[in-house]
Amino acid sequence: MPTYKAPLDDMKFVLNDVIDYSRLTALPGYADFDSETAISVLEGAAQFCEEVLQPINQSGDAEGCRIDNGAVTTPSGFKPAYHQYVESGWPALSADTEFGGQGFPQTLRFAVEEMICASNLSFGMFPGLSHGAYHALLVHGADALKATWLPKLVTGEWAGTMCLTEAQCGTDLGLLTTKAVPRDDGSYALTGNKIFISAGDHDLTSNIVHLVLARLPDAPPGIKGISLFIVPKFLLNADGSPGADNAVRCVSIEHKMGIKASPTCVIAFDNSIGWLVGEHNKGMRGMFTMMNAARLAVGMQGLGLSEVAYQNAVSYAKDRLQGRSLTGVKNPAGPADPLIVHPDVRRSLMTMRAFNEGARALSLWVGTHIDLHEKHPDPAVRKDADDFVALMTPIVKAYFTDMGFESTNLALQIYGGHGYIREYGMEQFVRDARIAQIYEGANGIQALDLVGRKLPAEGGRLLRFFFHPLSERLERTTRDPSLKEFAEPLAAAFARLQQATQYIALRSLANPDEAGAASTDYLRMFGLVALGDMWLRMAEVAMAKLPTANGDRAFFDAKVKTARFFMTKMLPEIHGLFARIMAGSGPVMALEAAGF
Amino acid sequence: MAIEIRRAAVIGAGTMGSGIAAQLANAGIPVLLLDVVPSGATERTVLAAGALARMRTQQPPPFMSAEAMALVTPGNVEDDLDGLAEVDWIIEAVFEDPAVKTPLYHKLDAARKPGSIITSNTSTIPLQALITGQSDAFARDFAITHFFNPPRYMRLLELVSGPQTRPDVTAALHAFGDERLGKGVVVCKDTPGFIANRIGTFFMYCAMHEALKHGLSVEETDAVCGKPMGLPKTGIFGLTDLVGLDLMPHIMKSFHATLPAGDAFRALPMSFAPMDALIAAGNTGRKSKGGGFTRLVPDAAGGRRKEVIDLATGTYRAERVPQLASLAAARGKNALKTLVGFDDRGGRFAASLLAQGLSYAASLVPEIADRVSAVDSAMRLGYGWSFGPFELIDQLGAANFAALLTAHGIAIPSLVAQNKPFYRADANGVEELLPNGEYAPVPRSAGVLSLADVKRRGSPVMKNGSASVWDIGDGVLCLEFTSKMNTLDRDTLAIIRQIITQIGDGSGTYRALVVYNDGENFSVGANLGPALFSLNIAMWDTVLQGTVDGQNTYAALQHAPFPVVVAPAGMTLGGGAEITLHADAVQAAAESYIGLVETGVGIIPGWGGCKEMLLRHVGPVQSDAAKSMTAVGHVFQTIATAKISTSAADARALGFLRATDGITMNRARLLADAKAKVLSLVAGYTPPAPRTTTLSGARGKGILMAGVASMAAAGKVTAHDQVVAEQLATVLTGGDTDGVTPLDEGALLTLERTHFMHLAHTPGSLARIEHMLATGKPLRN
Repeated sequence: MPTYKAPLDDMKFVLNDVIDYSRLTALPGYADFDSETAISVLEGAAQFCEEVLQPINQSGDAEGCRIDNGAVTTPSGFKPAYHQYVESGWPALSADTEFGGQGFPQTLRFAVEEMICASNLSFGMFPGLSHGAYHALLVHGADALKATWLPKLVTGEWAGTMCLTEAQCGTDLGLLTTKAVPRDDGSYALTGNKIFISAGDHDLTSNIVHLVLARLPDAPPGIKGISLFIVPKFLLNADGSPGADNAVRCVSIEHKMGIKASPTCVIAFDNSIGWLVGEHNKGMRGMFTMMNAARLAVGMQGLGLSEVAYQNAVSYAKDRLQGRSLTGVKNPAGPADPLIVHPDVRRSLMTMRAFNEGARALSLWVGTHIDLHEKHPDPAVRKDADDFVALMTPIVKAYFTDMGFESTNLALQIYGGHGYIREYGMEQFVRDARIAQIYEGANGIQALDLVGRKLPAEGGRLLRFFFHPLSERLERTTRDPSLKEFAEPLAAAFARLQQATQYIALRSLANPDEAGAASTDYLRMFGLVALGDMWLRMAEVAMAKLPTANGDRAFFDAKVKTARFFMTKMLPEIHGLFARIMAGSGPVMALEAAGF
Repeated sequence: MAIEIRRAAVIGAGTMGSGIAAQLANAGIPVLLLDVVPSGATERTVLAAGALARMRTQQPPPFMSAEAMALVTPGNVEDDLDGLAEVDWIIEAVFEDPAVKTPLYHKLDAARKPGSIITSNTSTIPLQALITGQSDAFARDFAITHFFNPPRYMRLLELVSGPQTRPDVTAALHAFGDERLGKGVVVCKDTPGFIANRIGTFFMYCAMHEALKHGLSVEETDAVCGKPMGLPKTGIFGLTDLVGLDLMPHIMKSFHATLPAGDAFRALPMSFAPMDALIAAGNTGRKSKGGGFTRLVPDAAGGRRKEVIDLATGTYRAERVPQLASLAAARGKNALKTLVGFDDRGGRFAASLLAQGLSYAASLVPEIADRVSAVDSAMRLGYGWSFGPFELIDQLGAANFAALLTAHGIAIPSLVAQNKPFYRADANGVEELLPNGEYAPVPRSAGVLSLADVKRRGSPVMKNGSASVWDIGDGVLCLEFTSKMNTLDRDTLAIIRQIITQIGDGSGTYRALVVYNDGENFSVGANLGPALFSLNIAMWDTVLQGTVDGQNTYAALQHAPFPVVVAPAGMTLGGGAEITLHADAVQAAAESYIGLVETGVGIIPGWGGCKEMLLRHVGPVQSDAAKSMTAVGHVFQTIATAKISTSAADARALGFLRATDGITMNRARLLADAKAKVLSLVAGYTPPAPRTTTLSGARGKGILMAGVASMAAAGKVTAHDQVVAEQLATVLTGGDTDGVTPLDEGALLTLERTHFMHLAHTPGSLARIEHMLATGKPLRN
């Protein structure tokens, strides 16, 4: 059975030494959340994840969800775990204090998400979707709606969902047909079917608040005619408690590859009463608010699974005795050497480790920008921070989840046949990791978002907040003899990223297929350089601390060695990606559709 | 011998009369501007003098230069009629009433020089009515010259002669109007409203009624009439606001009174209820405080926002962006066809309006003009339509149009019934359909060289994504910018370098270059998009290379062994102004708006603009330090404040053009004039020798920056203005020069690009570039 230990030391290192967490405490409303408080929160989360969520992960997968007469039952242990989660106040962690939240920085939520996803991805779906609904309502809802629905979403007493997809429209939401007809009292009657609704129905909460995209009777066609509504499972009594049934039915749940403890529902609305969130026909705005937050959260799923898979692979590689080291016996007392003596096993472990630590730093760095965006008093700083988050969102989503799948596979491979059977839990990580590449905008869509939307936006403005700081850092560190070995390969990769960026921007003007053909390679290239940036920063800190380090000597030594591995063994992948990008769209599109 | 017009008089100092006087002055003609003596006036020429005073501050300015302003002498028709004996042309632009005009004509006839030309600017009164009761000599010397408002900017001049009018009078007016006043002269018949107003007014009324009928809002109407039909941005209702709502019923009445029974115009309702209500409320358009169909009201942010009349309720509401499916669909090549075939309010409105409006136009040839091309020209030049009515019918196809008419129960005019395209083009030029079913070449004034004709005849000598090069005969190449808004980029620079290679020493096929295009704007400058993108991704070297390329390419063009004439027209900004500065000679359209506007986007001219302005204004040796500093100060001020000339004459005053550079009044003649100019430079051409200048360095920079500091203290410049000004001051005073050593062109270019790059690194400049690209307006940060 797999185990999980939250990487608290690394999180502390990132918060304190890499991303300068303490500057967030200068933001309005964050004065109380100094780094000590933050770390004690993470310790609490770690304990909950390790002791409550992780133990029901494998059983939840084996048991799955059930549907009886339209009611979904979650696997054994989920209900008490959820109640404990609510009682400990986790749903309210970073929610707005005006609605009962604790108002912690969003940066910390990223760290907590990683731990939840690592310990029990299916469980994480329930609060994750509630948070998305909370956020959309907070940003776009009218005051009365917020007063009615937000407090109990914040406490976790009620859960939320995002109802977007229909049978005929997944990526292309312009095709959706669910109808919303105005009623005399200002509410709307919604009718239609939604599919793939995660946490669409369950037994964890007394009410479920659905955020639903639908079309008004006079709406123009396409995505310009979509509005956002809040539709509860139960209408409220005068005292605010759940009352009358609102004709929201879970018709069925999907049988699927992974995240089996999370019910994926077909939901039918039949003249269900709802209220408009935001303006008529402006539902895509609310959708993007939910989606952007959700995309970052999905990125954390990739990281979380990669981390837990790595930890178990390390244990197995140290325990399992097979064969002898190529350079001589390392475990003479035993019948064979442990797997970890083998360079190729090390390669896999180092790859996972370098990704995990780099991605952790990057996710928390992005997280600080969400806090800057939400809290900084200067609107110019807020806008710049938001632009940076917008740029990094598709990268965090797609690169982290692609790597999550790769990492879990590498870990499974180290287990050999034992990885392929259920007992050790490794194949569950692979299966669970797979969905993250698909939902909340498939990774191909993320790549298109990056090259088609984020790159050209405002003349490349979004890019500035990544390229300028890194350009300056490289100028400084390539001249520093102790950092040169890290900075130089990154400088070469950075130059290639600049060239590829320029190439795509220019070529796609004449032929949009150029951007499309380059998109996936480009996103990965960007992800690698972004991780390189983090590794350069971490190497700089570690190199500075090593000479005087005592108890944490091994930690900083490992950082430097992992940084070196990343720069020399992982980052060079960008040169192949660059060559592929520069080969253009021709080879991709040459064979006409009929020829397939 | 042809009549020569050397002096002129305008009678009537209203909007039209004073505007016509200004345009005559812009052409270099001394003008007497006379009006009546108001009863009880102490200042007897108050009307003309007042009009002149108003024109000094009017926007857009009626005068092209201070010199032109000085050419107009105000007077009155009681004391100053003697002056008429000196003038060759008298233009009457008084109230549209024969009872006013007839006695005035008697007076003018008595005072004028024998054989002088006399014309009326009437828009409604037939010529025959005007000459009734006048002397035979008057009738022989009389014609109608109908200008459009504002006379400097509207390019149409309708010319109507009577049977008695001397042919040389008509010829002189035609030539003078074309060559000196720069107008597109369209010969019209003596029918009510001539061409443009007859069709234009019909179309406007029709559009208003159809809008109401099909439930279109003001914005929707203007949007449907805009892009897909090609009417100007002003829109139907916007134009009514501009003309004045109260005038519209008068115009309507006049047409009803003068047009024959059975004319489709007379079948239109006399009034338009929403307009009557507005007039009754005193909301007569832009001239009234309350506005008209649209109005501007103060908004919460301290600016102004637009409100629009709801045609159904007659109340104002906030402006809305039109959202019609037909509008969204009507794009690209078949936009008009798509529009009229689209089954929504917008499509049905368009179909009904075009059926009525275009069939009316088609029914009027040959009644109002012999040629369809005259009608199309009049609508393009006088109403700013992108396409004339016959060009619009061609876009729909004659057969489709006939079907549309049948569907709307409108009789098919015989011109349309021929079922042939109104225009056909081949390598030999463009031909138009005549009423007899034959085709004849579209008439073109003598001496006009059309780049469109050149392009029809063959393929370009060179071409890339941003520019083409054409052989315009006699060994002259024409460089045409072809990018959006004629922005300049590395492709433009590349083709210039190719041209330099191609022409070589001028002994081969080609020997000279004209830089010209047919665009409304010569060039709005370098394309900032790629530069901003490069800056955003920290590719500093790419941007520096772009600057070096521009500097080197323009310098190479300047020093190439063949003459180069640049022929700007309209906006000529940034890199467009810089190529103008590098030319051996310039032939500019009178309406040229030239400026080094780089500071508006937080940078300084980086393609040799600073260098050229210095070399031109400061000169080689600093013999007189004070004078030299004044010149540097002038250049500094011109560039730092991003001054744009208001005309070619103004560009001369600002120093973008030299006294030797030519000005062409008629945009259509610009290419021919530029070609003639460059050919005149071919014999014995030697490229300009390398130049140097001496600048005063830190001392001069101190003086310039002291000025900036005092402006800053007065709150007239922003924080980033000062950053930009300092870099510019450094360049213009020679950086760290010792104040004695002459600086050569290379040294000036190095300074220019160094400080250009310095600015390109600043967040303030990036914000300016970004804002300009996003909004088209400069950011004041």
